[in-house]
Amino acid sequence: MTNLAIGRLRRFSATPGQMAVVLLIAAFLLAFLLVPAATVIYVAFTEKGTSNLTLVNFLDFFRNDLFVRSFWNSVYVSSLSVVWATLFALPLAVITTRFQFRGAMLIQTLGFLPLIMPPFVGAVAMQLLFGRNGSVNLLLDQHLGFKLPFMDGLNGVVFVQSLHYFPFILINVSNSLRQIDSAMEEAAQNLGSSGFRLFRRIIFPLAMPGYLAGASLVFVKVFDDLATPLLLNVKDMLAPQAYLRVTSIGLADPMGYVISTILIAVSIFAMWASVAVMRGREYSTVQRGGGGLARRKMKRGEAILAYGAVTLVLLLVLSPHIGLLLLSFATIWSFSPLPDGYTMANYGRVIGESSIYIKNTLIYASLAGLIDVVLGGAIAYLVLRTKIIGRAWLDWAAMSALAIPGVVLGIGYLRTYYGVTLPDGTPLATLSIMLVLALSVRRLPYALRACYAAMQQISVSLEEAAENLGANKRRTVRRIVLPLMMGGILAGFVTSFSTAAVELSATLMLIQSNSEAPIAYGLYMFMQSPAGRGPGAALGVIAVILVAVCTFASHYVIERSQKAMGARK
Amino acid sequence: MTVKFKEPKMAQTRDGAAVAGARKIEITNVNVHYGELHVLKDINLEIQPGEFFAFLGPSGCGKTTLLRLIAGFNNASSGDVRVGGQDILAMPPWKRDVGMVFQSYALWPHLSVARNVAFGLEERKLPRDEVARRVKAALELVGMGHLADRRPSQLSGGQQQRVAVARTIAIEPKVLLLDEPLSNLDAKMRVQVRRELRDLQQRLNLTTIFVTHDQEEANAICDRIAVFGDGRIQQVGRPMDLYERPASLFVANFLGTANILDGELVTVDGKRLFKVTDTISVPVPDGVTISPGTRLVFRPQHASLEDAGGQGVRLPGRVSNIEFLGASVRYGVMVGTSEVLIDVPFQSGASVRTVGADVNVLLPSDCMLWLAE
Amino acid sequence: MKKLTAVLMASAIAMTAAHAQGGTVTVVTSFSKDVTDPFKAAFEAANPGYALEVQNKNTNAGVQYLTETKANNQTDLFWASAPDAFHTLKANQLLASFVPSVEGLPEKVGSYDVNDPDGFFFGFAASGYGIMWNERYIKANELAAPAEWSDLKHPQYYDHVVMAAPSRSGTTHLTVETILQGEGWDAGWGTLKSVGGNFQQVMDRSFGVPDAVNSGQAGIGIVIDFFAFSAQASGFPVGFSYPSVTTVVPANIAIVANAPNHDGAEVFVNFLLSEPGQEVLLEPTIRRLPINPATYAKAPEGFPNPYEDARFQAMINFNGDLSSARSAVVDVLFDQLITFQLDNLKAATRAVHAAEAALVGKDNAEAGALIAEAHALIAAMPFDHEQAVSPEITDAFTGGENKTSRQSELEQAWATFAAENYAAAKAKAEAALALLS
Repeated sequence: MTNLAIGRLRRFSATPGQMAVVLLIAAFLLAFLLVPAATVIYVAFTEKGTSNLTLVNFLDFFRNDLFVRSFWNSVYVSSLSVVWATLFALPLAVITTRFQFRGAMLIQTLGFLPLIMPPFVGAVAMQLLFGRNGSVNLLLDQHLGFKLPFMDGLNGVVFVQSLHYFPFILINVSNSLRQIDSAMEEAAQNLGSSGFRLFRRIIFPLAMPGYLAGASLVFVKVFDDLATPLLLNVKDMLAPQAYLRVTSIGLADPMGYVISTILIAVSIFAMWASVAVMRGREYSTVQRGGGGLARRKMKRGEAILAYGAVTLVLLLVLSPHIGLLLLSFATIWSFSPLPDGYTMANYGRVIGESSIYIKNTLIYASLAGLIDVVLGGAIAYLVLRTKIIGRAWLDWAAMSALAIPGVVLGIGYLRTYYGVTLPDGTPLATLSIMLVLALSVRRLPYALRACYAAMQQISVSLEEAAENLGANKRRTVRRIVLPLMMGGILAGFVTSFSTAAVELSATLMLIQSNSEAPIAYGLYMFMQSPAGRGPGAALGVIAVILVAVCTFASHYVIERSQKAMGARK
Repeated sequence: MTVKFKEPKMAQTRDGAAVAGARKIEITNVNVHYGELHVLKDINLEIQPGEFFAFLGPSGCGKTTLLRLIAGFNNASSGDVRVGGQDILAMPPWKRDVGMVFQSYALWPHLSVARNVAFGLEERKLPRDEVARRVKAALELVGMGHLADRRPSQLSGGQQQRVAVARTIAIEPKVLLLDEPLSNLDAKMRVQVRRELRDLQQRLNLTTIFVTHDQEEANAICDRIAVFGDGRIQQVGRPMDLYERPASLFVANFLGTANILDGELVTVDGKRLFKVTDTISVPVPDGVTISPGTRLVFRPQHASLEDAGGQGVRLPGRVSNIEFLGASVRYGVMVGTSEVLIDVPFQSGASVRTVGADVNVLLPSDCMLWLAE
Repeated sequence: MKKLTAVLMASAIAMTAAHAQGGTVTVVTSFSKDVTDPFKAAFEAANPGYALEVQNKNTNAGVQYLTETKANNQTDLFWASAPDAFHTLKANQLLASFVPSVEGLPEKVGSYDVNDPDGFFFGFAASGYGIMWNERYIKANELAAPAEWSDLKHPQYYDHVVMAAPSRSGTTHLTVETILQGEGWDAGWGTLKSVGGNFQQVMDRSFGVPDAVNSGQAGIGIVIDFFAFSAQASGFPVGFSYPSVTTVVPANIAIVANAPNHDGAEVFVNFLLSEPGQEVLLEPTIRRLPINPATYAKAPEGFPNPYEDARFQAMINFNGDLSSARSAVVDVLFDQLITFQLDNLKAATRAVHAAEAALVGKDNAEAGALIAEAHALIAAMPFDHEQAVSPEITDAFTGGENKTSRQSELEQAWATFAAENYAAAKAKAEAALALLS
């Protein structure tokens, strides 16, 4: 028995360096996520008007028909959105990674764009195209005499959400597919499997870590997203209920935080479930320097089908951007399929002030993305490669950021750090670095998931080989793990960067002046008035182009590094 | 357990390299647990300097676990491992200086062949020209000098394997650990590469442990073999000794083909007989103890068909199968309800029996083994 | 890692440097860029050496921001429409009192006091509530342009009307309160629910209403006037009318307590109330009614003047104390009876409309009685106007000691009440329709 005890002791031990990393990450999460959120959310556990601790509010939640209905509506919408997002994402991912396909990189970038739909303008553009009196319905009504309720009710939410969040699946699955050793595909073909069966039985299961990472993100994001339901005026879902209560009834009302707490619990459960499914399975597919799936040439018929499918999906998912582009050049667009006229004036109005927004956005979003991949990579490493006690807690804590509403985090930051001042009296909370930290905390889950999936695909023996040749843990990480993870890290950075670039809710609470504002804030300011709609759209287009260029650049880098690593050509 | 190094044995004596730099490996009372699972049980082993030593056994027997324990990728719950007299269990993998070639080769796809090989040298902070020199030397040694700039994915399986070996020996490790290094190669390559490995080992005079589940591989190139089964070392010895004198049914079965006859001990007229069927029994030599579960074991090439003449026990049977193996003919003979295999050397012009013919199996008494589980 | 830290530090330092200049007046406002940019330009031109720093936050976020940052306040001014936000700030002692130097300002606009009697906040512009519509939309749907609140009850507007939730928009809250005070508690709610039955959607922010009407997603919206005026000025095909029962209320500005640049804040308030400041309000993109009567001399043709226009003189008396006492109750009632029950309310309304259409020209007393019952069920309220301000109910919202149930329990009870009544009303109306066909 003592033997056993020693064995356990040895296995739980960690190098001092690893311990230090754990403590650093824990301190970061505590300081910039848990404590600020807790200063607000503890209200959920108190009785209103007093500070007595109670759980009665949770009982109230389940006794309230509206909340219970909202809960099930959210579950319904999130689940269906995952299904639809999968249907949008898989064809794009497969076609661009497994076939020789012109413009694969362009598609990877374009397919990413829905994620970076800036707030408000995206909503307006969607309504103008698909709304009850949007272009599509006006044309349908005019020529065929009926309308389609694209944007009505829960199914409208599913429609918009799956368009909005399917890139999470696209990015992660594409990354997984690129990592699969071509031998695995060849082996299956050799055994007589081909076409869809090959995909279903071999390729897709091997891409499972990426798919689950993406699908669970979609589920959780849809579950926690409030912008889209609010845009469609669907209020009986959980996230809008939490938001409406926190922002209208006020900070002292416990129910808003009860809902937030339930959102966090469900999100963590969904993440846990996706990890639990993967547990105990071996998915390391980078073993012998496999250069990813061989890209097959398409037959004529296949090519027509593929281009058709890609065009259709892209047209659909990019329709908000097309609408946005039209809007940015429009004079007046009201109750008509197309704008009344076109003008450059909107761009003229924003061009002068947008440079400061662009600069700020780039600084904030890239710093946030950088912090995210550093933390995300470190947490993924600790979870997957060490046995340090509490590593799973780091993971859960980081993921819980997904479910903490931006406005709650913003208020938490003010509450925690406004009282703390620099020597000259400036409150800590007013420094724009706090905004960067808030953005990085909000987007950390994206980078974490991407890094996690990337690391899951690296065979442990590659690291053991390095250690065997004399590299210690730190050196192994630097020389072997990091280069091999680069694709996943970049994917994580891009996701964090681009979504942070259009984040608004925390921004609105923390931003101190126009000169420090990012693009999302500028958009918000324009979109508060009728005359600001066109300039707002123009600024939105600038934001989208900005982020798209950065995304395209990183895809380019990923492609290049993949090529350098593999490709038998 | 004390087999002296350099006992006469074909391959080994061929060039008789000096033993000076090679290290001894001592494994004492090692136990390994995975949670509740007892994976290695009381392992004791001494591997001599310069020896080419095999861990042989079926998958799941613990042989790879012990190898990874030596490399530092598993932890022992008790016991001691010494390399060249130095206790290494407390050291992290990167301080141990035990070179390991992984089954999957574990070549880093983002680095070229030369950079793969240079890795360990760079970690040792050797001067740049020294690194270059040794990379070149290591690659030349395995015949891969001309492919130094390739990526691992551009190499064939055999070439990858050579790079993996070069990468490991470049750091001049104290001992060399090979984890099923041939399993990813085709049959022809396997024979060629194992020969190369043996030559290399001899030239470098490196104490080497070779993990395999293939007895032929182990027999062909190793000085000694430890046969693993169920987390224990079943037997240690030279390949020929293990073949001729297996200590247990497990070893006999695992190494080569063995005929195994079940039966029970009866005493008739004061003589001990091993009764295989009602009509067939074999006299038990004095000094052999038969306990329940003891079987009669013999190799196909040690028995013959009766007309060959000679001394021994005769077992009546009927030919049920004939295979021509080139140098010999292998007969399947039904003895009672069991089929035994008999190899008869093939001579051109000699008559071959037909299926269904009645024969007697002649079993020389010195080739009979009485083994329990 | 080192590089990263350096970049972080550098950017942090760069960002704080802008703060240090003297003469910066920091204002937290809910007004859009279209409003703040012209004021910033005019103010900085008229007062060299001063810079206006605008922090744009919606009204609620602004109030929360000031509350959270009071310990170390960095804001000089709070500038927004909804008067109740200023009441809240004043009650929490977050404002400083001040006497403007501008002469000739009126005491009242409509029936509403222009300034806080204690001098904590000041009206700088007036806004009236009204009905806005999209010309193309109502033409395509062959609708008449509505003129009065009661017009919106008409079956032709079914599914065409939008409004912001009063819990989400301070200005809409005042519209609702105006109707309740003008028509009385029960009749007022009856009107709101009859109009509510014609809603297409309830919006979660004030600007959502003009946005939906501008783009043609909705036909008719209940809005504050300047949204319509500025939309018209931007060229959108929209119309607007003031109904006869409405109020006009000032939009306000206040100096924040412990303002870092208190003097600068005073300069800005005086500028805002002075004629040059007031004239900025006439800009096409702003179009708010100046509080300074003298400014109207420079107003363009057709610009409404609340000091002379008869419609504004007829406006009802507005009881601000009553409004504040029951504001949470009214907001939550509206959400529970209308916003979150919209599907049920619309279904009942549609059934009633169908029955009423079938009744036209027929004499069927039984059906008529059923329809009347259906109307009564829709209009029914869970409690009367006295209970609405009783401590038993109001304390449930503030956590006071007189509460008899928690807010969530009240909400559940009211929602159930509404859902059951709407279902019953729908059944009665369908029964009436069955009798008529």
